[in-house]
Formats: sequence, C-alpha cells, structure tokens
Amino acid sequence: MNEPRILVVDDEPQIQRFLSVALSAAGFRVQTAETGAQALRLAATGAPDLIVLDLGLPDRDGKDVLRDIRQFSTTPVIVLSARDREAEKIEALDLGADDYVEKPFGIGELTARLRAALRHAAHAAQPAQRIEIDGVAMDFDKRLVTRDGAPIKLTPKEYDLLAVLFRNAGRVVTHRQILAAVWGPAHGEDTQYLRVFIGQLRAKIERDPTAPTIVKTEPGVGYRAAEP
Amino acid sequence: MAAASRPDDGRPDPDALLAAFRRETAGRLKVFLGAAPGVGKTYAMLQNARRLKDEGVDVVVGLVETHGRAETSALVHGLEILPRRKVEYHGREIEEFDLDAALARKPKLIIVDELAHTNAPDSRHPKRWQDVQELLAAGIDVWTALNIQHLESLADVVSRITGVVVRETVPDRVLQEATDVVLVDLTPDELIQRLNEGKVYVPETARRATQSFFTPGNLTALRELALRRTADRVDDQMVDYLRQKAIEGPWAASERLLACVGPDEVSERVIRRASQLATGLNAPWTAVTVETIGQAADAKRANQLAKVFSLAERLGGDAMQLQGSDYTTEILRLARRENVTQIVLGQSRAGLFRRILGRSLPEALMRHAGGIEIHVVPGEEAQTSLWPRLRPLLSRRGLGVELAGALVSVACAVAVGDALIAVLKLPNLSMIFLTAVLFSAVRFGTRAAVIASLASFAAYNFFFIEPVYTFTVAQPQELFALLIFLAVAVFAGSLTGRIRDQRETVIRNAEVTQSLYDYSRKLSGASSPDDVLWAAAAHLHSTFGGRIVLLVAEGDDLQIRAAWPPDAQLDPAALGAARWAQQKKEPAGWGTGTLPRIAYQFRPLVAARGPIAVCGFEPHLAGEPITAEDERALTAILDLTAIALDRALLAREAVNAATMQENEKVRDALLDSLSHDLRTPLSSIAGAATSLRAFGDKMSPSERLELLSSIEEETARLARFVANLLDMSRIEAGGLKVNRDLVSIADVVQGAVERSRKAFPGQPVRVSLAPNLPFVRGDDRLLEQVLFNLLDNAHKYAGEAGAIVHARQEGAEVVISVTDEGPGVKPGELERIFEKFYRGGRADGRKAGTGLGLSISRRLVEAMGGAIVAQSPAVRRRGTRIVMRLPAAQATAAEPRPAA
Repeated sequence: MNEPRILVVDDEPQIQRFLSVALSAAGFRVQTAETGAQALRLAATGAPDLIVLDLGLPDRDGKDVLRDIRQFSTTPVIVLSARDREAEKIEALDLGADDYVEKPFGIGELTARLRAALRHAAHAAQPAQRIEIDGVAMDFDKRLVTRDGAPIKLTPKEYDLLAVLFRNAGRVVTHRQILAAVWGPAHGEDTQYLRVFIGQLRAKIERDPTAPTIVKTEPGVGYRAAEP
Repeated sequence: MAAASRPDDGRPDPDALLAAFRRETAGRLKVFLGAAPGVGKTYAMLQNARRLKDEGVDVVVGLVETHGRAETSALVHGLEILPRRKVEYHGREIEEFDLDAALARKPKLIIVDELAHTNAPDSRHPKRWQDVQELLAAGIDVWTALNIQHLESLADVVSRITGVVVRETVPDRVLQEATDVVLVDLTPDELIQRLNEGKVYVPETARRATQSFFTPGNLTALRELALRRTADRVDDQMVDYLRQKAIEGPWAASERLLACVGPDEVSERVIRRASQLATGLNAPWTAVTVETIGQAADAKRANQLAKVFSLAERLGGDAMQLQGSDYTTEILRLARRENVTQIVLGQSRAGLFRRILGRSLPEALMRHAGGIEIHVVPGEEAQTSLWPRLRPLLSRRGLGVELAGALVSVACAVAVGDALIAVLKLPNLSMIFLTAVLFSAVRFGTRAAVIASLASFAAYNFFFIEPVYTFTVAQPQELFALLIFLAVAVFAGSLTGRIRDQRETVIRNAEVTQSLYDYSRKLSGASSPDDVLWAAAAHLHSTFGGRIVLLVAEGDDLQIRAAWPPDAQLDPAALGAARWAQQKKEPAGWGTGTLPRIAYQFRPLVAARGPIAVCGFEPHLAGEPITAEDERALTAILDLTAIALDRALLAREAVNAATMQENEKVRDALLDSLSHDLRTPLSSIAGAATSLRAFGDKMSPSERLELLSSIEEETARLARFVANLLDMSRIEAGGLKVNRDLVSIADVVQGAVERSRKAFPGQPVRVSLAPNLPFVRGDDRLLEQVLFNLLDNAHKYAGEAGAIVHARQEGAEVVISVTDEGPGVKPGELERIFEKFYRGGRADGRKAGTGLGLSISRRLVEAMGGAIVAQSPAVRRRGTRIVMRLPAAQATAAEPRPAA
C-alpha cells in the first residue's frame, strides 16, 4: 500500500519542522502549508489522504479554512487546538473535522489519531459487520452485543448509542452529533439526557464503570470509543 | 368595575382572594377594641399573649402601659420586654416605643398598646398607628388596643356625646384592615365600680375622670358605638368569606358613594357622613370637588380643600378634583360614569338669587339625578356667612397700591372732567368716572375697582353736582342718576376686575405650562444622569425657591448627586427620611406623616423598574402646606425628571455593558496570545522529544540533529519569554532594583549585540558608535537587557533585513537608537507599542512576540532617568527606529574615567 499523504497546515516553523521529520519517519509522506490560502490550494490539488490543521493561522481563521475544505472534499481533517478552547474544538468537529489533538501533544498521540481517522475513512465505503473493543463485540447484522462471548441486553436506544460510538471507534464524537444520530436533530442540546444514557450503557458494558476503558469521556466535547 | 362583578359562575372573587393573600404575606393585626379606658383591653391582650408564649410562640412586649394597675403589671412579668427609647422633650425625658429595635428583633408577634398614641416630635412617624403599619409591612404580627372614641370617623360624634374633644385619632381603614378585632366589653356599672375601687386609674386622678367622662350616659353611648362597629365588622367578614368561597349570598348589590365637597366648613361633616354610610354599606366612596376656572389660583381655598381631602383619605375614601365651569353638570357626569348610587352633599349657602332660580346644588342635582339617592348634610349656623367674603376685600396685602391707584385714577377723572366742562359744557360726566373705575379694575383688580367706584361717587357728587363742593344734592333726578352711576360703576368695575383676575390665573397657568415645556426640552437634551439631575435641581429651585437636593442610590446607600445651592448637605436624620421615602416609595419629611420635623420633604422618583432617586425640597413658607397649584407643578416636574433620569441611567448602563464586553474581548485576546506564546515552544519541544524517542532509529543523523537543535532553540525562546514575564511582574510589584552606577555605553552595546548574534544567527547587526561617548548613570545589566529586547524586536519584525545600533552625544544626553528595515509601525501605534501586551501586526498577535519587551524597556529606561520613543518610517519609507535618551553622567574625581 502506498504511504498515506499528510498535509500539515501550521504557521509555526518549529512545529512544521518536527512534524515533517517525525511523520516521515513514522511512514507518512508530508506536505506543508503555512497559510490558509496555501492549505486550500494543496487540499484541492495535492490529493492528501489526511489534513492536520492548526486552528490559529496568520491569514484567516482555521475554522473558515475547514469550512471551505468541506465544500469540496471529505478528506479526514485533524485539528490542532489548545486544551482550554472547548468551544473552538466543538465548532470545528461540528463543521466536519474528524478529530482533534490538544497542544502540546506527543507524536504518539498524533499518529494514533491519524491512523484511526485514515482507517475510518477507508471503512466508510463498506462498514464493518462486527467491531470488537476490549472484549466487547458488536455484531451489526445480528444486532447483538456480547462481552467475552456472553450477550449483553441493551435497550434499543442504548444499542443505537453504542453503535454510533463503535462505528467511530478511535474518533471523538461530539454530544450534538450523538444526540442528532440517536434521538434526532431536535434534541441537539439535551446533553444532560446523554450523560444519563452513557452512565447506563457503561454500567452494562464496562468491567469497571467508574474507570471506563471502552467509552471514554472527552471533557466538554463528547465521547470516544477506544481503538478496536 | 371589579366590585360590580358578581361571582355568578361559582368562581371565587379574585379581588377577595388577592386581599386575603396580601393579608397572609404581611403581618396580621389584632385590635382589642374597647368602649372606654379601663374595660380591660391590655389585661385581655396580655393574658392571651401569655398563653401563646406558653405554646412556644415568639412573643415580645413592644410597649404596654399598665397605668399603675397591679393586675396588669403582674401579667407582664415573664414576657420578653423591648427596652423603650428615651426621648428628651422640653427638658423632660419621656419614653417611647422603639420601632427600629422592634424591626431588628423581628419577633413573630409584638404587643404595642394604645394605638391612638401620638409619638414624641422627633420620632419617625407622628402617630403610633403608623409605627404599627411599618411593623405589619415587615411581616410581624401586631396586637394592639384601641378605644372606640379614637376612631377618626366617630371623633365628632364622640365629642358631641361626651363633650370631650378627641385629639388623638386613628384612621378607620386601620381598623378595617385589621385581621381580627376583639371587643373587650364591660357594662357601664361594672366599669364605674372598678373605677371607684381604684382598679382603673390611680386614685387621685380617678375622681376627676369620673366626673368629666365616666358617666353612665357617656359610657352607654360609647359602648353602643363599639358594639355596633364590631358588629359591622363581623358582617363584613361574613361577606368577605362568602365572596372568597363563592357562596351565593344575600349581600347587597355593589353601592358607590360620592361626597361632594368644597372649601367650606360643612365639607368635613359631609366626608364623615359619607364614610359612615359607606362603611355601613361596605361600599367604596369618593370625595369630589369641582374647580371652576379662576378658582385654582386661590391659595386659601386650596389649603382648605387639601385639608378636606386628607380627611377623606384618612377615612378610606378616594379624592378627586374635577375641572369645569358648572358644578352640577360635572358631578352628574362623574356619577353616571362611575355608576354612583348615592351622593352626599352639604346644604349650600347659595344666595337668595340662586335659590329663587332653583339653582342651589341639592335642588339641581335632585332634578337631574334620576335614580341616585341624595343625602343632604345640614350646614352649621351661618354666622360666618358674610365675613369670609368680605375678608379678602379687607386684607392688607397690596391694599396701599390699589388704594393709591384708584384714588389717582379718580383724581385724574376729576381733572379731566374739570377741563372738559370748561370747554364743552357736557351735561353728564359719569362716563369719565366710569372710565377711571374700569381703568382701576383692569390695572389693579376688583378691590381697586370698588374703591374707585366709591371714590368716583363721592368726587362726582362733590365736584360736579350742584351745589358744587358739598356732598349734598339739590335735584332729586341728580341723586337718582348718581345712584345709578354707583350701581353701574360697582357692577362694571367688579366684573372687569374679575376678568382681570382670571386673566392673571390664565397667564400664570400658561407660565407654568411654558416652564414645564422648557424643562422637558432641557431634559431631552441632557444625556448623562448628572445632566438630568442638575437640570432638575436648577429648575426646581427656580420654580419653588428654597434648597433642593437630589439623591441617587449608589450601591446600598443614597448619595447627593445634585443640589441647589450646590453645597447643600443633609444631616443624618434628613438622610434617614430620604431613605425611608425611597424604600417605601412614599413622601417623607416636612408636611407628611413620616418624620414631619425634618426641614425637607422627600419625594421618591419612581420609574417603571422602581424608585431610582429621591428629591428633597424645602417649603416655600415654613409651616404652610403645598398649594394645589404647586403640587401639580411639582408632580409634573418629578414625573418628567424620573422618566429622563431613568432613560439616562439605562443609556449609561448600556454603555457600561458595552465597555465591559469590549474589555472582556481585549482580555480574551491577551490570554489567547499569552497561552499561544507559551504553548508553541512547548509543543515544539514535546513534539520533537517524543518524535526522537518514537522514531529516532528511523531518522537520518541530520534529521535527529535538526530536532535536537529545535528543542534547544525553543527552550531558549521559552526562557526569554518567562524571563520577560518575571521582569514585568517584578517591576509591577516594585521589586526590581535599578543600580545607578556609571555605565559605559560601548560595553553595554557590545554585550547586547553579542547575545543577539548568538540568539538570532541569521540577523545582521551593524554598530556605529560616536567616539568619546560619556558615561551614563544606570544599571549596565538592565541596560543591556533593554538593548537586547530592542534587537529581539528588530529580529521579529524585520527578520533577516538586519538592524543598526547607533549611539551619539546630544548636549547633556546620550542618544542610543536601534533601527530596523522591517515594514514599520503605523503612526497611530507609535505610542501604543509601549503598552503592556500590545503587539504590532495582527490583532491576535500570532506572528508577533510577547508584547512585553518594549513595555519593560520603557519602564527600565525611565527608572534610569531616560526616555524612549519609537519613530517610523525610519529609512526609505520603511523600518522602525527606537530611540533612547539617557542623561550623560558627570564623571567626578572620585570616580576616574577608566582608560578607553
């Protein structure tokens, strides 16, 4: 298989420099852009498999760049953002970003996110029949959830909820996205609702619901199912 | 009309429920009502209180008068007693109920004896029943005692029965609004026996009291009054209950009474009668008067009316003033509009003329009222019928001027007549005198016209009618003509005079209107709250005279924000009255029921969202109430002011909110860039380090080296940033010590340039120093830091374009400059770049530095006695030059200049 092409959009030369070196060493081909305009041009012409986008760019807001990219491309986008800017992250995710990484970050974290996003993009064409995470398996054909082979009884809503998370395994899903997928777009703001259901779901699938390993909380943003 | 809606549909009457609800949130008042002193009200009250106390209710005795009665004193023991307030009055120390202590203690139930008591002059309220109302409003239940003779509407009845004038009265509505009334009853015989046994008053006073007041006849009459009043109340409660529970009942269809009053003696009795009737019918009632044009200006009339109206309000009626030309028409129009069922009025003193025409008010009303019951209250014996009318004619005010004016007019008429008679041989000179009379009327008013008429009569007779120069008249027809002349003169003169008086009223009204109009225009131009307040103070002062203060709530307290004269101050007592006015939304101070001994009267300025300010003003004339005319003007001015002030305050709040939002935005941007500056190097370091660990073995040696040097550079960048932050916080905290040594500029420049070359290898730096530069006094380490910051900036903004450091002497100063060839600084930003956290370039400062370098540099240079400014463009329409000027040091013998 060809090495995936990554477009790194960041205006800080220091960050560009280490990302180029590190991602090349990790087996990616790296293109770089320093401005939003450059990023758009390369996204359109360079056919990248994935875009790493810093939200703070010198010429324009990174979210605007993201919005423009989504006009013509479904290429996975991972945004780089600061930890204290939840609103910005959620906005970017709702605009169509696939995931985010908080600055400062380690290279291991970034590459894991890159792989999850690439894998999801590859599976989007033909969704998996069966996904297993940490002993919990979900069979979409049979609508069956088992842990270590033993069936777990879920309500229809709990099943739908878990399905959304498992289909996006490894990626963050925002509150709004989950609510819209399970309960419909009209319930986009009822996050209290969601917390209750997640609690019930964890009680059924996690080995230790107080220290969940399968459905993890992304504080202020949403939930993330662990890597399969 | 709410009272007319009968609950046919079986639903409870909302008004009745609302009233019941209000009774639940406020404190509950229980009145122990007695026919006379000594029936045992206090005793009954205390006995009940003790029982409640035993049941665990929080009962406090606010004030109880035992009058030395032993049985009563015994009951007080064991109850919590509130200390009394000691007041100095005419050299004597008297004790009063302590309202503030009671409010602070806030028991469930408080006992305050003798509701009709008049407080000492310096108290907050003149009457104790007002204290009680404040307690109730604070949610405290009150028990109190009252003798029937003190009830306002019964005061004149009681004084007629007993011959004792009742001075301390309580408005009827206090009793009407009480939750419970307990009648404490004793037969007259028993009471007199108790009196004789000395159980009521202490013995010395007992005999005197018995003789004047405690006669069996008096006591029986008073007892009847008390019993009837209580029975009425029970009846009302029954009706209330039926209405609340929506029980169909035989209560009377709603009645409404109108009391027609005027500025006369009989009106007070009309009011009392109407109140009694209304109480019996459980009906609302209104006291109304009609002002015809021209009457409004009469101050005496207005004062009398104000007295009548305030009595009506005390007795629970509404007051209404109508304007119109015909009394009967206006009254009937109102009666129809308000569905009045009964009208009470006094027998009018209409003159013979009107009575013959059947135009006295009762007759006219009866003729047209159709269906409305009419009660006529007989007037007092008309011993004052002529005097009050003559009195204004004899008042001293302006009399001299009017007398002189009239006499001079008549004298002129005599002179003119004399001259004419010589030339023209006129048969009758009455027209000339009539002219003089009319002139006096127009110029000086009615009274002058009458004087001129009489003087003309005399002068005409004396000077022109045969025999001349005597007051005798020879011909009978001359006498007849003379008398006709007098009649015509008086009639025409007084008519003209009245027109003149009315014209003056109209002019005065127009002036008031005009001044209000001017004021509202002035207000519409005032944009800030202070402008509004000052305009209000100036206008109130020019309209009413006296001192004016305007107070606005600042936080929890009221502050004087405008006053006339501008240095007017308030003593604490006046300030207390102002606060009371604001809290209760009612007038306080002079002329009101609250703190009437304060020199000012305070009125709250109430806007839609509540009281926003308080206006205090001094009376026109001490001791006189405000005239109706002034009251109207004052109300209009205060209303206008309240609206304008509210608008100005809202506008200011909107501006404040916008500024705060702006500040918030700036702070967010600042935090953003700070966190960005800290995080970017951290990201690079963390990223490079983790990459080396994860993929180091897959990298070429040059790639590894690149990551390593990236870590080093970013660490240095972070260190510089942290050092700047620390310097800044040290400067801000005042902890940075600046030495004042002799410093060689050359050394400092060399040090800074070397550091800069190490930090930014790509940046070419040229140095040009004038020979023989003098020393400066300062701190070489900090000065080097300043220069380094400037070079750092040059690197950030000009990059590889390079920088020039230049130093020379100019007079007593050494000038050091750092010039770059970057894009330069906009003229508007040349000063702002020295502000803390301000950065050139984009608003969020992504590209720029910390925003601290220049700010720190300026602080340091100024600490060394120098100055630092920015100039741009510097060279060839580009670039920035930062120029430092430091005073050259005088090298002394003790500090020899080191060899160059």
